[in-house]
Amino acid sequence: MIDQLGNGLLLGLIVAIASVSLSLLYGVTRIVNFAHGEIIALGAVLTLFFSSSPESSFLYLDRYSPLGSSFIVSSVASILLCGVFGALLELCLFRPLRKHNYGNVAVLVITIGLSIFLRHIFLLFASAKPTSYALDLQKREDYFGIQLTPRNVQVLIIGIIVMILVGLFLSYTKTGKAMRAVRDSSELASVSGINSDYIITLTWVFSSMLAGFTGIIQGVINNVRWNMGFLILLLIFAGSILGGIGTSFGAMFGGFIIGMLVQLSVGLSFMDGHTEAKNAIALALMIIILLIRPQGIFGSKERIS
Amino acid sequence: MRDYKKYLIAFGLLVISFGYILMSNETGVARIFVNLLTFAGIYGLAAIGINVHFGWTGLLNFGHAAFMGIGAYTTILLIPHALGREGVVIENGLPLPIAVIIGMIAAALLGLLLGLPTLRLRGDYLAIVTIAAAEIFRLLIRDFEDITGGVYGVIQFSDALQDLRPNFITNLATNIEVSSSQLWVGVITWILILITLLFLNRLQNSPWGRALRAVREDEDAVRALGKNAVWLKLQSFMLGASIGGLSGILLAFNYGTLQVSTFVPVLTFYLWAALILGGVGSLAGPALGAVIFWVIISGTDSLAEVFFENANGQQLAGVRFVFVGLLIMFTMIFTPSGILGKKEELLLDIK
Repeated sequence: MIDQLGNGLLLGLIVAIASVSLSLLYGVTRIVNFAHGEIIALGAVLTLFFSSSPESSFLYLDRYSPLGSSFIVSSVASILLCGVFGALLELCLFRPLRKHNYGNVAVLVITIGLSIFLRHIFLLFASAKPTSYALDLQKREDYFGIQLTPRNVQVLIIGIIVMILVGLFLSYTKTGKAMRAVRDSSELASVSGINSDYIITLTWVFSSMLAGFTGIIQGVINNVRWNMGFLILLLIFAGSILGGIGTSFGAMFGGFIIGMLVQLSVGLSFMDGHTEAKNAIALALMIIILLIRPQGIFGSKERIS
Repeated sequence: MRDYKKYLIAFGLLVISFGYILMSNETGVARIFVNLLTFAGIYGLAAIGINVHFGWTGLLNFGHAAFMGIGAYTTILLIPHALGREGVVIENGLPLPIAVIIGMIAAALLGLLLGLPTLRLRGDYLAIVTIAAAEIFRLLIRDFEDITGGVYGVIQFSDALQDLRPNFITNLATNIEVSSSQLWVGVITWILILITLLFLNRLQNSPWGRALRAVREDEDAVRALGKNAVWLKLQSFMLGASIGGLSGILLAFNYGTLQVSTFVPVLTFYLWAALILGGVGSLAGPALGAVIFWVIISGTDSLAEVFFENANGQQLAGVRFVFVGLLIMFTMIFTPSGILGKKEELLLDIK
């Protein structure tokens, strides 16, 4: 079990950040976004697109690396592009739907269509094979008894810094406060002079950038796959529901627990020879949580029924 | 009067679809038609199950693949079959009709199990839970190879159905040069669709059916009249699930092997596309939607050939699903009630 601790920390971090972005978007826009996983994958795929080495066969398109294959520059550009993509989704799709009073079920079904569409665009332009970034291979080392590569440690530190920054942003900046205000009550927020359309657009940008960031670290730790977003989406839902969907810190906590649980369950004795079932445990936990405390650990009751 | 127009449009679309198939294939047209109508029938039957959930009761079920899967696995494992990597042959089994009924009951019980914790919550939670349950189901089937055959699947079970095939089906199949086993599955599928639709039509106009629609329109009013809304929703969930189970069994017989990769999440999305296209809430809508959907899908294959020279399976699937995604989005945006649905009967908002 202890050899899985390092993997658990990493997956916990990924699911935690992704859960915050999903949960914030849900809180502000009331959209259950099934396409969120695809925005995560977009971050990973774009980074690969910009940074892949000339020999790479990942893309059917001719390789395009104006950024000189620098991984850091490529990731930053990808995160920014994810933000632009989020803004485009809001401006071209979700805002018109909102203005025409489409119900939340209709929007949910539309996000599912969007998710299928985007995922298979990735399949068409990227190979079905898992691909890694052109980074040198590193050996695992011992950090306080936890087995991690030096790069994994860097990723952990960057991830934790990002989570702290997100927390500070939501708690102390004017925009972050406005997002939380719209989340709690969009009518009260607009009475207080908050332009909710503007805040919703910003939330899309912010949430998509966070999602893209998650995809990149997922790609660094494991690999990049066309369907990586869908694979992790259910864990993100589980994390958000565990912590309380619509909350930020709750989702962060819930996501971390889910990610840890998935990896640690690999080490349990009754899981011997059943490695595929590890995700099933997290999803089963989500269903149990819904049974006993549907609002999640930190959620409030009025959000759920 | 408006209904009359709707059926005319539906008929026109069917004619165009079949015309397209006739025009685009020179040889083996009968084989293509039988294949298409069999798959469309099975998907249509499954979509009818989702329609009971969503169209009648307003329940968002995105895990229909699990209901189809549990129906298929329960039934097939109860009849004579060969299992797993070594192909262990199990000669003894229950008669097919009894196994099918047990399979449908198993699907209904899974519906009960999933419905109990979630039907009291808001609709979007049910969407997440059902999609998660379908994933759990798939992972467990894959993992418990001793019982389910795992990734190696189950084979040699088709005889249970094919032994019942009457001679005139075999003769007809030989005459029009199609696979007799698929023709038989297709005929049974469409007979079952007809029976299901007649049964649902009676049910829809019964007091129970009216109470269900009342739950969809205004749950509080139903409660105020002393009806148990949660129990009504559970019943509807179980009914739709068992229809899904039945279609899963047919799907297994159509493939001739039972593979866990059949019951992936995208199967459910296919069904939703067919349902939305055909018309949510209408009786025959899902079956009609499934037929037109399959014609569109076969059209995307030739489109893939335009974009990619000698498109491989991955590119074909990619183009296919890009269109499935677009189809779901555009139908939902521009004509949410589909071809046969009624706009005023569509539940698109859950408070």
